[in-house]
Amino acid sequence: MTDLTATQKALGAEVAVRSAPYFPRKKKAITGRSIAVLAFLAICALFFCIPLYVVITTSFKTMDQIREGAMFALPNVWTLEAWDHAWNTACSGTRCEGLKVGFWNSVSILIPSLVLSIGLSIVTGYALALWNVKWAGPFLFVLFICAFVPFQIIMFPLISMTATLKVYGSIWGVAIIHAVLAMPVLTLIFRNYYKDIPQEIMSAAVMDSGSFWKIFFEIILPMSGNILIVVLILQITSIWNDYLIGVTFGGLGAQPMTVNLANLITISTGTVRYNDNMAAALLTAIPPLVIYFFVGKLFVQGITAGAIKG
Amino acid sequence: MTFRWSRWSPQLALMPAGLVTLVAFIGAILWTIYLSLTRSRRLPEYEIDWTDWGRQYERLFKDDAWMISLQNLIVLGLGSALAIVFGFILAAMIDREKRGESLFRTVFLYPLAISLIVTGAAWRWIFNPELGAEHFIHSIGLTWVNASWLARPETAMYGVILASVWQSAGFYMALMLAGLKSINSEIWSAARLDGVGLFKLYTEIIIPMMKFTFITCAILLSLGVIKAYDVIVAMTNGGPGQSTYVPAYFTIQALSAKGNLGFASAAAVVMLLITAVIFLPLVLLTAWQQRRSGARG
Repeated sequence: MTDLTATQKALGAEVAVRSAPYFPRKKKAITGRSIAVLAFLAICALFFCIPLYVVITTSFKTMDQIREGAMFALPNVWTLEAWDHAWNTACSGTRCEGLKVGFWNSVSILIPSLVLSIGLSIVTGYALALWNVKWAGPFLFVLFICAFVPFQIIMFPLISMTATLKVYGSIWGVAIIHAVLAMPVLTLIFRNYYKDIPQEIMSAAVMDSGSFWKIFFEIILPMSGNILIVVLILQITSIWNDYLIGVTFGGLGAQPMTVNLANLITISTGTVRYNDNMAAALLTAIPPLVIYFFVGKLFVQGITAGAIKG
Repeated sequence: MTFRWSRWSPQLALMPAGLVTLVAFIGAILWTIYLSLTRSRRLPEYEIDWTDWGRQYERLFKDDAWMISLQNLIVLGLGSALAIVFGFILAAMIDREKRGESLFRTVFLYPLAISLIVTGAAWRWIFNPELGAEHFIHSIGLTWVNASWLARPETAMYGVILASVWQSAGFYMALMLAGLKSINSEIWSAARLDGVGLFKLYTEIIIPMMKFTFITCAILLSLGVIKAYDVIVAMTNGGPGQSTYVPAYFTIQALSAKGNLGFASAAAVVMLLITAVIFLPLVLLTAWQQRRSGARG
């Protein structure tokens, strides 16, 4: 199954390995071309920042100022009123308890989803990479294909199954589906990481009468720090940002924050409070943004490795 | 194997993943394909009328909304391809200039960290017909500009495209930047010595050298386009009318809003086929890449 490795390399390793030789750049005078390039890049950066700027300023404005229609103006009076509304009283469907409901749902979905998805795939990846198991090759190939399957084609069967297991509409239902859908990609990521462990280490460990689980917990897990943190960040952001699984399997009781936000912004009755909407959008975006600004490099590694997850 | 447990533990450890693959993926796909042949409406029915097994597919391709969805899929695909072009231009400039690289990378990539629902919410607000960007543009005197794209069926799809490009251009920039950095640095000095123009250097040397990166980007983009759902929900909800329906949205709409199981299953099967058509080149490409690197080593 080396072809899988090649693809993973193509998709993942490219960004991880930045092997450009570093030449200490001579101090050179800034040229006209440099200025033009920098100006162009700055304009593009501005384009990327506009939505964030508009969302932030709108969330601090009063509705009176918003009705004047000056979208790009700074708030006349900076107020936290909209943030308070969004957190405490914004309506999602018929319930008007704000986004805090969704926030706590998202948090309680996040934890079991992380444990289930990472636990399942790390063990699978380890077994496939380092142990002689029958059908390992074909199994990896099937996993590779599963990573591409559109969600819609397994949607109804998964709903039926979770309903039969009595977990539909609960935190656990959402968490299980997250684990199931993330399994193919995460397994491939872990397997590709572990397959580079030299066979000698494994032989020595087995000779030392190490069992499957003993080797896993005493040798493999301690050396998986790098990959675990990358996968962890990938999973935290993608579970937090997920909408489709949450809206399909969350029922009414376990809707994550993104579902509340979507309900809030697509509401068509009554007067729309745009400042509340934007505050709600920011509240939803803050956790992943914080992760991004603190560990951006790891985030990019994860997103490229998991790119095929889409 | 000296230790007996060693022989069984790995197989046992693979059981859960194997079970998930068999049941939640393979079984579920077969189940949906089967349902697409039945007359199931709100509840599943398991009788197939073999004289008329393709009826759901026939209905599907007579459905206007589905044909709009397919059309929009192509429009969205072509439009989002701008993200690759844009990403390459950004990467090339960052790579040549080097000043401020980490700052620009950070700015261009941050949309990727945000949920598409948030992205949709932001752009929906910017495109707001009464109070949005249009109002501002008109107020500075450019009254002939139409910026409330989402309000009109003809332009709504462009709004969605703009939001998707905004979201994903940074990602393609990161891939392209990695590709550019892996190019041998001697090429730049060789080109300068030979007096090759910058434009010619890129179009005739650099881009052909990076074709693998470009193809990877194109495939990832197509897969992303087929899965596009969140951004549609957040920005337009398929409207105005049905003008921004895409297959992913259509299928879920048919299942959850209209409760039409057999019909939705047929749409999902067609989605799977479209994915397979995109997926196949990826497998071939990987095989090709494999052979090339094999020949080199």
